[in-house]
Amino acid sequence: MTGAQAAGLPTREADSAAASAVKAMQAEGRHAEARERYAELVARHQRRAARIAFHYLRDSAEADEAVQDALVKAYSHLSSFREELPFEVWFTRILINGCLDRIKARTRRERWLVPMPESPVGQRDFTERVASVGPSPEDQLLGRERRQKLAMALSRLPERQRSVFMLSHYQGCTSREVSAMTGLNESTVRVHLFRAIRRLRTLLAEDGASIGVGGEKRRVTS
Amino acid sequence: MSLLNRYRATRHLSDDVFADLWSTEATTGQPVVNPHLSDCAQCRTRYANFTDWLDRIQDDALAEADEAFPPERLAAQQAQVMRRLEGLERPARVIAFPHFSRPVTSTQGHAQRWVAAAAAAGLVIGLVAGQLFDVRHLLSTPRGPVATQTARLTTPPQINSGNAVVLPASLPSVSDETLFFGGDPAHATGRLSMLQSIDDITPRARDIDLPR
Repeated sequence: MTGAQAAGLPTREADSAAASAVKAMQAEGRHAEARERYAELVARHQRRAARIAFHYLRDSAEADEAVQDALVKAYSHLSSFREELPFEVWFTRILINGCLDRIKARTRRERWLVPMPESPVGQRDFTERVASVGPSPEDQLLGRERRQKLAMALSRLPERQRSVFMLSHYQGCTSREVSAMTGLNESTVRVHLFRAIRRLRTLLAEDGASIGVGGEKRRVTS
Repeated sequence: MSLLNRYRATRHLSDDVFADLWSTEATTGQPVVNPHLSDCAQCRTRYANFTDWLDRIQDDALAEADEAFPPERLAAQQAQVMRRLEGLERPARVIAFPHFSRPVTSTQGHAQRWVAAAAAAGLVIGLVAGQLFDVRHLLSTPRGPVATQTARLTTPPQINSGNAVVLPASLPSVSDETLFFGGDPAHATGRLSMLQSIDDITPRARDIDLPR
Protein backbone atom coordinates (compact mmCIF):
# COMPACT_ATOMS: atom_id res chain seq x y z
CA MET A 1 0.00 0.00 0.00
CA THR A 2 1.34 3.40 -0.93
CA GLY A 3 1.55 6.33 1.40
CA ALA A 4 -1.30 8.16 -0.28
CA GLN A 5 -3.61 5.16 -0.10
CA ALA A 6 -2.71 4.65 3.50
CA ALA A 7 -3.67 8.25 4.15
CA GLY A 8 -7.13 7.48 2.73
CA LEU A 9 -6.80 9.36 -0.52
CA PRO A 10 -8.94 8.15 -3.43
CA THR A 11 -7.15 6.00 -6.00
CA ARG A 12 -6.92 8.69 -8.67
CA GLU A 13 -5.41 11.20 -6.32
CA ALA A 14 -3.11 8.50 -5.02
CA ASP A 15 -2.00 7.80 -8.58
CA SER A 16 -1.30 11.45 -9.26
CA ALA A 17 0.61 11.72 -5.97
CA ALA A 18 2.65 8.64 -6.86
CA ALA A 19 3.40 10.00 -10.33
CA SER A 20 4.52 13.31 -8.82
CA ALA A 21 6.73 11.45 -6.34
CA VAL A 22 8.34 9.44 -9.15
CA LYS A 23 8.89 12.65 -11.09
CA ALA A 24 10.63 14.23 -8.09
CA MET A 25 12.80 11.14 -7.57
CA GLN A 26 13.83 11.19 -11.22
CA ALA A 27 14.79 14.84 -10.91
CA GLU A 28 16.92 14.07 -7.86
CA GLY A 29 18.61 11.19 -9.62
CA ARG A 30 17.17 8.49 -7.32
CA HIS A 31 16.37 6.22 -10.22
CA ALA A 32 16.14 2.91 -8.39
CA GLU A 33 13.58 4.34 -5.96
CA ALA A 34 11.70 5.98 -8.82
CA ARG A 35 11.45 2.67 -10.63
CA GLU A 36 10.26 0.91 -7.52
CA ARG A 37 7.54 3.48 -6.99
CA TYR A 38 6.58 3.43 -10.64
CA ALA A 39 6.14 -0.35 -10.44
CA GLU A 40 3.15 0.28 -8.17
CA LEU A 41 1.55 2.47 -10.81
CA VAL A 42 2.28 -0.13 -13.46
CA ALA A 43 0.61 -2.84 -11.40
CA ARG A 44 -2.48 -0.70 -10.87
CA HIS A 45 -2.97 0.38 -14.49
CA GLN A 46 -1.68 -2.63 -16.35
CA ARG A 47 -4.92 -4.60 -16.65
CA ARG A 48 -6.97 -1.62 -17.66
CA ALA A 49 -4.34 -0.63 -20.22
CA ALA A 50 -4.25 -4.17 -21.61
CA ARG A 51 -8.03 -4.15 -22.05
CA ILE A 52 -8.01 -0.83 -23.86
CA ALA A 53 -5.13 -1.83 -26.13
CA PHE A 54 -6.72 -5.19 -26.87
CA HIS A 55 -10.04 -3.59 -27.83
CA TYR A 56 -8.25 -1.19 -30.12
CA LEU A 57 -5.85 -3.61 -31.76
CA ARG A 58 -7.73 -6.95 -31.50
CA ASP A 59 -4.38 -8.75 -31.25
CA SER A 60 -2.96 -9.77 -27.90
CA ALA A 61 0.71 -9.70 -28.89
CA GLU A 62 0.44 -6.27 -30.41
CA ALA A 63 -1.63 -5.03 -27.46
CA ASP A 64 1.08 -6.33 -25.12
CA GLU A 65 3.74 -4.36 -26.99
CA ALA A 66 1.56 -1.25 -27.08
CA VAL A 67 1.04 -1.38 -23.30
CA GLN A 68 4.76 -1.85 -22.66
CA ASP A 69 5.65 1.01 -24.97
CA ALA A 70 3.09 3.29 -23.32
CA LEU A 71 4.33 2.45 -19.81
CA VAL A 72 7.96 3.06 -20.76
CA LYS A 73 7.08 6.25 -22.60
CA ALA A 74 5.05 7.53 -19.64
CA TYR A 75 8.02 6.90 -17.32
CA SER A 76 10.55 8.59 -19.56
CA HIS A 77 8.25 11.60 -20.16
CA LEU A 78 7.04 11.93 -16.60
CA SER A 79 8.71 15.33 -16.41
CA SER A 80 5.94 16.66 -18.68
CA PHE A 81 3.17 15.26 -16.46
CA ARG A 82 0.96 17.96 -14.96
CA GLU A 83 -0.41 17.29 -11.50
CA GLU A 84 -3.81 18.87 -12.17
CA LEU A 85 -4.61 16.10 -14.68
CA PRO A 86 -5.20 12.57 -13.30
CA PHE A 87 -2.33 10.20 -14.13
CA GLU A 88 -4.86 7.71 -15.50
CA VAL A 89 -6.13 10.20 -18.09
CA TRP A 90 -2.61 11.30 -19.09
CA PHE A 91 -1.40 7.73 -19.41
CA THR A 92 -4.50 6.57 -21.31
CA ARG A 93 -3.96 9.33 -23.83
CA ILE A 94 -0.40 8.09 -24.43
CA LEU A 95 -1.70 4.55 -24.80
CA ILE A 96 -4.50 5.47 -27.22
CA ASN A 97 -2.13 7.50 -29.39
CA GLY A 98 0.24 4.53 -29.50
CA CYS A 99 -2.60 2.18 -30.46
CA LEU A 100 -3.80 4.51 -33.20
CA ASP A 101 -0.25 4.75 -34.58
CA ARG A 102 -0.05 0.97 -34.63
CA ILE A 103 -3.39 0.71 -36.43
CA LYS A 104 -2.16 3.18 -39.05
CA ALA A 105 1.10 1.27 -39.49
CA ARG A 106 -0.80 -2.01 -39.76
CA THR A 107 -3.12 -0.57 -42.41
CA ARG A 108 -0.11 0.60 -44.41
CA ARG A 109 1.53 -2.82 -44.02
CA GLU A 110 -1.57 -4.75 -45.00
CA ARG A 111 -1.81 -2.77 -48.20
CA TRP A 112 1.31 -4.61 -49.41
CA LEU A 113 0.72 -8.04 -47.89
CA VAL A 114 -1.47 -10.87 -49.10
CA PRO A 115 -3.43 -12.41 -46.18
CA MET A 116 -2.53 -15.97 -45.25
CA PRO A 117 -5.23 -18.55 -46.02
CA GLU A 118 -7.20 -19.58 -42.97
CA SER A 119 -6.74 -23.05 -41.54
CA PRO A 120 -9.21 -25.62 -42.86
CA VAL A 121 -12.49 -26.11 -41.03
CA GLY A 122 -12.18 -28.57 -38.19
CA GLN A 123 -8.42 -28.13 -37.84
CA ARG A 124 -7.83 -26.33 -34.58
CA ASP A 125 -4.83 -25.02 -32.71
CA PHE A 126 -3.18 -27.23 -30.13
CA THR A 127 -4.20 -24.83 -27.36
CA GLU A 128 -7.86 -25.22 -28.30
CA ARG A 129 -7.61 -29.00 -28.11
CA VAL A 130 -6.33 -29.03 -24.52
CA ALA A 131 -9.05 -29.96 -22.01
CA SER A 132 -10.05 -27.21 -19.59
CA VAL A 133 -12.16 -26.88 -16.48
CA GLY A 134 -13.99 -23.73 -17.66
CA PRO A 135 -17.39 -23.42 -19.31
CA SER A 136 -18.73 -26.19 -21.54
CA PRO A 137 -17.64 -26.32 -25.18
CA GLU A 138 -21.12 -25.24 -26.26
CA ASP A 139 -21.04 -22.18 -24.02
CA GLN A 140 -17.54 -21.38 -25.17
CA LEU A 141 -18.62 -21.64 -28.79
CA LEU A 142 -21.65 -19.44 -28.27
CA GLY A 143 -19.64 -16.93 -26.32
CA ARG A 144 -16.93 -16.86 -28.97
CA GLU A 145 -19.50 -16.39 -31.69
CA ARG A 146 -21.17 -13.56 -29.79
CA ARG A 147 -17.83 -11.85 -29.21
CA GLN A 148 -16.89 -12.21 -32.83
CA LYS A 149 -20.15 -10.57 -33.88
CA LEU A 150 -19.65 -7.80 -31.38
CA ALA A 151 -16.06 -7.25 -32.48
CA MET A 152 -17.19 -7.19 -36.09
CA ALA A 153 -19.91 -4.66 -35.31
CA LEU A 154 -17.47 -2.53 -33.31
CA SER A 155 -14.97 -2.59 -36.13
CA ARG A 156 -17.62 -1.18 -38.44
CA LEU A 157 -18.09 1.87 -36.24
CA PRO A 158 -16.22 5.05 -37.14
CA GLU A 159 -12.99 5.41 -35.15
CA ARG A 160 -14.20 8.20 -32.87
CA GLN A 161 -17.47 6.47 -32.05
CA ARG A 162 -15.57 3.29 -31.26
CA SER A 163 -13.10 5.09 -29.00
CA VAL A 164 -15.82 6.92 -27.12
CA PHE A 165 -17.92 3.79 -26.72
CA MET A 166 -15.02 1.70 -25.44
CA LEU A 167 -13.80 4.32 -23.00
CA SER A 168 -17.25 5.25 -21.73
CA HIS A 169 -18.81 1.85 -21.57
CA TYR A 170 -15.95 -0.61 -21.07
CA GLN A 171 -13.79 1.60 -18.85
CA GLY A 172 -16.58 3.57 -17.20
CA CYS A 173 -15.06 6.97 -17.96
CA THR A 174 -17.16 10.13 -17.73
CA SER A 175 -17.57 12.46 -20.70
CA ARG A 176 -15.03 14.86 -19.17
CA GLU A 177 -12.44 12.09 -18.89
CA VAL A 178 -13.12 10.80 -22.39
CA SER A 179 -12.84 14.37 -23.60
CA ALA A 180 -9.42 14.73 -21.95
CA MET A 181 -8.27 11.36 -23.31
CA THR A 182 -9.42 11.82 -26.86
CA GLY A 183 -9.26 15.58 -27.26
CA LEU A 184 -12.94 15.76 -28.22
CA ASN A 185 -15.45 18.20 -26.85
CA GLU A 186 -17.65 16.91 -24.01
CA SER A 187 -20.88 17.41 -25.94
CA THR A 188 -19.26 15.72 -28.96
CA VAL A 189 -18.43 12.77 -26.73
CA ARG A 190 -22.08 12.39 -25.78
CA VAL A 191 -23.19 12.60 -29.40
CA HIS A 192 -20.61 10.00 -30.44
CA LEU A 193 -21.69 7.67 -27.64
CA PHE A 194 -25.35 7.99 -28.59
CA ARG A 195 -24.58 7.32 -32.26
CA ALA A 196 -22.33 4.40 -31.42
CA ILE A 197 -25.04 2.68 -29.38
CA ARG A 198 -27.67 3.27 -32.03
CA ARG A 199 -25.40 1.96 -34.77
CA LEU A 200 -24.33 -1.07 -32.74
CA ARG A 201 -27.96 -1.93 -32.08
CA THR A 202 -28.70 -1.80 -35.79
CA LEU A 203 -25.61 -3.77 -36.79
CA LEU A 204 -26.15 -6.52 -34.23
CA ALA A 205 -29.83 -6.76 -35.15
CA GLU A 206 -28.82 -7.11 -38.81
CA ASP A 207 -26.42 -9.89 -37.92
CA GLY A 208 -29.19 -11.63 -35.98
CA ALA A 209 -27.13 -11.72 -32.83
CA SER A 210 -28.50 -13.90 -30.09
CA ILE A 211 -28.77 -11.12 -27.60
CA GLY A 212 -32.44 -10.40 -27.98
CA VAL A 213 -32.00 -7.29 -30.07
CA GLY A 214 -34.41 -8.27 -32.83
CA GLY A 215 -37.46 -8.54 -30.63
CA GLU A 216 -36.76 -5.31 -28.80
CA LYS A 217 -35.97 -3.39 -31.94
CA ARG A 218 -39.54 -2.98 -33.12
CA ARG A 219 -41.04 0.34 -32.33
CA VAL A 220 -44.04 0.24 -30.07
CA THR A 221 -46.55 2.99 -30.42
CA SER A 222 -49.79 3.36 -28.57
CA MET B 1 -49.30 20.61 -20.69
CA SER B 2 -49.61 21.22 -24.38
CA LEU B 3 -51.27 18.76 -26.70
CA LEU B 4 -47.92 17.82 -28.28
CA ASN B 5 -46.29 17.18 -24.92
CA ARG B 6 -49.30 15.14 -23.78
CA TYR B 7 -49.01 13.08 -26.97
CA ARG B 8 -45.30 12.58 -26.40
CA ALA B 9 -45.87 11.53 -22.79
CA THR B 10 -48.38 8.87 -23.75
CA ARG B 11 -46.27 7.53 -26.64
CA HIS B 12 -43.89 4.63 -25.89
CA LEU B 13 -40.18 5.34 -26.01
CA SER B 14 -38.07 4.28 -28.94
CA ASP B 15 -34.60 2.71 -28.87
CA ASP B 16 -33.11 6.05 -29.82
CA VAL B 17 -34.58 7.61 -26.70
CA PHE B 18 -33.19 4.73 -24.64
CA ALA B 19 -29.78 5.24 -26.20
CA ASP B 20 -29.96 8.94 -25.46
CA LEU B 21 -31.03 8.32 -21.85
CA TRP B 22 -28.36 5.72 -21.29
CA SER B 23 -25.54 7.73 -22.89
CA THR B 24 -26.47 10.80 -20.82
CA GLU B 25 -26.44 8.70 -17.66
CA ALA B 26 -23.14 7.07 -18.61
CA THR B 27 -21.33 10.26 -19.47
CA THR B 28 -22.60 12.40 -16.61
CA GLY B 29 -22.79 9.68 -14.00
CA GLN B 30 -26.17 11.07 -12.88
CA PRO B 31 -29.50 9.19 -13.21
CA VAL B 32 -31.80 10.76 -15.79
CA VAL B 33 -35.48 11.13 -14.95
CA ASN B 34 -37.95 10.57 -17.76
CA PRO B 35 -41.66 11.11 -16.89
CA HIS B 36 -42.90 8.48 -19.33
CA LEU B 37 -40.40 5.91 -18.12
CA SER B 38 -41.51 6.28 -14.53
CA ASP B 39 -45.17 5.90 -15.55
CA CYS B 40 -45.03 3.18 -18.22
CA ALA B 41 -44.20 -0.34 -17.03
CA GLN B 42 -43.76 -1.62 -20.59
CA CYS B 43 -41.12 0.99 -21.39
CA ARG B 44 -39.40 0.37 -18.07
CA THR B 45 -39.11 -3.31 -18.95
CA ARG B 46 -37.80 -2.46 -22.42
CA TYR B 47 -35.28 -0.03 -20.97
CA ALA B 48 -34.13 -2.68 -18.50
CA ASN B 49 -33.64 -5.09 -21.43
CA PHE B 50 -31.72 -2.37 -23.25
CA THR B 51 -29.36 -1.78 -20.34
CA ASP B 52 -28.96 -5.56 -19.90
CA TRP B 53 -27.94 -5.80 -23.54
CA LEU B 54 -25.30 -3.13 -23.03
CA ASP B 55 -24.09 -4.80 -19.83
CA ARG B 56 -23.73 -8.10 -21.67
CA ILE B 57 -21.68 -6.37 -24.33
CA GLN B 58 -19.44 -4.94 -21.63
CA ASP B 59 -19.07 -8.29 -19.87
CA ASP B 60 -18.22 -10.07 -23.12
CA ALA B 61 -15.68 -7.47 -24.15
CA LEU B 62 -13.96 -7.43 -20.77
CA ALA B 63 -14.00 -11.22 -20.52
CA GLU B 64 -12.40 -11.49 -23.96
CA ALA B 65 -9.64 -9.04 -23.03
CA ASP B 66 -9.01 -10.74 -19.69
CA GLU B 67 -8.83 -14.09 -21.43
CA ALA B 68 -6.11 -12.71 -23.70
CA PHE B 69 -4.22 -11.31 -20.71
CA PRO B 70 -4.16 -13.85 -17.86
CA PRO B 71 -2.34 -12.88 -14.63
CA GLU B 72 0.83 -14.75 -15.71
CA ARG B 73 1.05 -12.70 -18.86
CA LEU B 74 0.53 -9.48 -16.95
CA ALA B 75 3.32 -10.47 -14.53
CA ALA B 76 5.65 -11.16 -17.45
CA GLN B 77 4.67 -7.86 -18.99
CA GLN B 78 5.44 -6.00 -15.78
CA ALA B 79 8.85 -7.68 -15.52
CA GLN B 80 9.59 -6.75 -19.10
CA VAL B 81 8.58 -3.13 -18.49
CA MET B 82 10.88 -2.97 -15.46
CA ARG B 83 13.76 -4.39 -17.48
CA ARG B 84 13.21 -1.80 -20.16
CA LEU B 85 13.14 0.98 -17.57
CA GLU B 86 16.45 -0.22 -16.11
CA GLY B 87 17.88 -0.26 -19.60
CA LEU B 88 16.86 3.36 -20.12
CA GLU B 89 19.15 4.53 -17.35
CA ARG B 90 22.21 2.56 -18.41
CA PRO B 91 24.57 4.28 -20.80
CA ALA B 92 24.55 3.01 -24.34
CA ARG B 93 26.75 -0.06 -24.74
CA VAL B 94 29.35 0.04 -27.48
CA ILE B 95 29.65 -3.31 -29.18
CA ALA B 96 33.23 -4.01 -30.24
CA PHE B 97 33.81 -4.83 -33.86
CA PRO B 98 34.41 -8.56 -34.25
CA HIS B 99 38.13 -9.45 -34.06
CA PHE B 100 39.98 -11.57 -36.58
CA SER B 101 40.02 -15.25 -35.79
CA ARG B 102 43.83 -15.16 -35.70
CA PRO B 103 45.47 -12.37 -33.76
CA VAL B 104 47.50 -10.03 -35.92
CA THR B 105 51.03 -9.49 -34.54
CA SER B 106 53.26 -6.52 -35.17
CA THR B 107 55.98 -8.61 -36.94
CA GLN B 108 53.44 -9.66 -39.54
CA GLY B 109 52.65 -6.04 -40.12
CA HIS B 110 56.33 -5.32 -40.76
CA ALA B 111 56.58 -8.27 -43.14
CA GLN B 112 53.59 -7.03 -45.10
CA ARG B 113 55.18 -3.61 -45.43
CA TRP B 114 58.45 -5.18 -46.68
CA VAL B 115 56.60 -7.24 -49.25
CA ALA B 116 54.83 -4.16 -50.58
CA ALA B 117 58.09 -2.18 -50.71
CA ALA B 118 59.86 -5.04 -52.53
CA ALA B 119 57.06 -5.27 -55.09
CA ALA B 120 57.26 -1.54 -55.76
CA ALA B 121 61.04 -1.65 -56.05
CA GLY B 122 60.79 -4.60 -58.46
CA LEU B 123 58.40 -2.65 -60.63
CA VAL B 124 60.69 0.38 -60.77
CA ILE B 125 63.75 -1.76 -61.53
CA GLY B 126 61.86 -3.55 -64.28
CA LEU B 127 60.85 -0.26 -65.93
CA VAL B 128 64.39 1.13 -65.77
CA ALA B 129 65.85 -2.11 -67.15
CA GLY B 130 63.34 -2.07 -69.97
CA GLN B 131 64.36 1.45 -70.93
CA LEU B 132 68.07 0.59 -70.82
CA PHE B 133 67.56 -2.49 -72.98
CA ASP B 134 65.81 -0.40 -75.66
CA VAL B 135 68.59 2.15 -75.67
CA ARG B 136 71.26 -0.54 -76.01
CA HIS B 137 69.29 -2.20 -78.80
CA LEU B 138 69.18 1.09 -80.67
CA LEU B 139 72.87 1.63 -80.15
CA SER B 140 73.82 -1.86 -81.37
CA THR B 141 71.78 -1.60 -84.66
CA PRO B 142 74.14 -0.88 -87.63
CA ARG B 143 73.43 2.27 -89.62
CA GLY B 144 72.45 1.14 -93.17
CA PRO B 145 71.32 3.16 -96.14
CA VAL B 146 67.78 3.47 -94.77
CA ALA B 147 69.11 4.84 -91.54
CA THR B 148 71.33 7.16 -93.52
CA GLN B 149 68.44 8.29 -95.64
CA THR B 150 66.22 8.68 -92.61
CA ALA B 151 68.92 10.67 -90.92
CA ARG B 152 69.21 12.72 -94.02
CA LEU B 153 65.44 13.27 -94.12
CA THR B 154 65.33 14.34 -90.56
CA THR B 155 67.75 17.16 -91.23
CA PRO B 156 65.85 20.41 -91.46
CA PRO B 157 65.12 21.35 -95.09
CA GLN B 158 66.54 24.50 -96.49
CA ILE B 159 63.73 26.86 -97.16
CA ASN B 160 64.12 29.77 -99.51
CA SER B 161 63.01 33.13 -98.53
CA GLY B 162 60.42 33.00 -101.39
CA ASN B 163 56.88 31.57 -101.19
CA ALA B 164 57.63 28.17 -102.78
CA VAL B 165 58.79 25.37 -100.52
CA VAL B 166 61.79 23.54 -101.91
CA LEU B 167 62.22 19.85 -101.11
CA PRO B 168 65.65 18.45 -100.45
CA ALA B 169 67.37 17.47 -103.65
CA SER B 170 68.41 13.99 -102.45
CA LEU B 171 64.83 12.78 -101.83
CA PRO B 172 63.90 11.70 -105.38
CA SER B 173 67.09 9.65 -105.68
CA VAL B 174 65.82 7.06 -103.14
CA SER B 175 64.51 4.13 -105.15
CA ASP B 176 61.81 1.70 -104.08
CA GLU B 177 64.23 -1.23 -104.11
CA THR B 178 66.53 0.66 -101.81
CA LEU B 179 63.71 1.42 -99.44
CA PHE B 180 62.32 -2.15 -99.45
CA PHE B 181 65.48 -4.25 -99.50
CA GLY B 182 67.91 -2.09 -97.59
CA GLY B 183 70.22 -1.37 -100.50
CA ASP B 184 71.61 -4.92 -100.96
CA PRO B 185 71.54 -5.31 -104.77
CA ALA B 186 72.27 -9.08 -104.82
CA HIS B 187 69.53 -9.78 -102.36
CA ALA B 188 67.16 -7.47 -104.22
CA THR B 189 67.86 -9.17 -107.58
CA GLY B 190 67.08 -12.64 -106.18
CA ARG B 191 63.90 -11.46 -104.62
CA LEU B 192 62.88 -9.57 -107.75
CA SER B 193 63.40 -12.58 -110.03
CA MET B 194 61.27 -14.66 -107.69
CA LEU B 195 58.54 -12.04 -107.71
CA GLN B 196 58.86 -11.71 -111.47
CA SER B 197 58.11 -15.40 -112.00
CA ILE B 198 55.04 -15.13 -109.76
CA ASP B 199 53.98 -12.07 -111.68
CA ASP B 200 54.24 -13.95 -114.98
CA ILE B 201 51.81 -16.67 -113.98
CA THR B 202 49.30 -14.27 -112.44
CA PRO B 203 46.43 -13.53 -114.90
CA ARG B 204 45.67 -9.91 -115.57
CA ALA B 205 42.24 -8.40 -115.76
CA ARG B 206 42.71 -7.16 -119.27
CA ASP B 207 43.52 -10.71 -120.50
CA ILE B 208 40.28 -12.16 -119.26
CA ASP B 209 37.23 -11.87 -121.48
CA LEU B 210 34.32 -11.50 -119.19
CA PRO B 211 30.90 -12.33 -120.67
CA ARG B 212 28.79 -9.23 -121.04
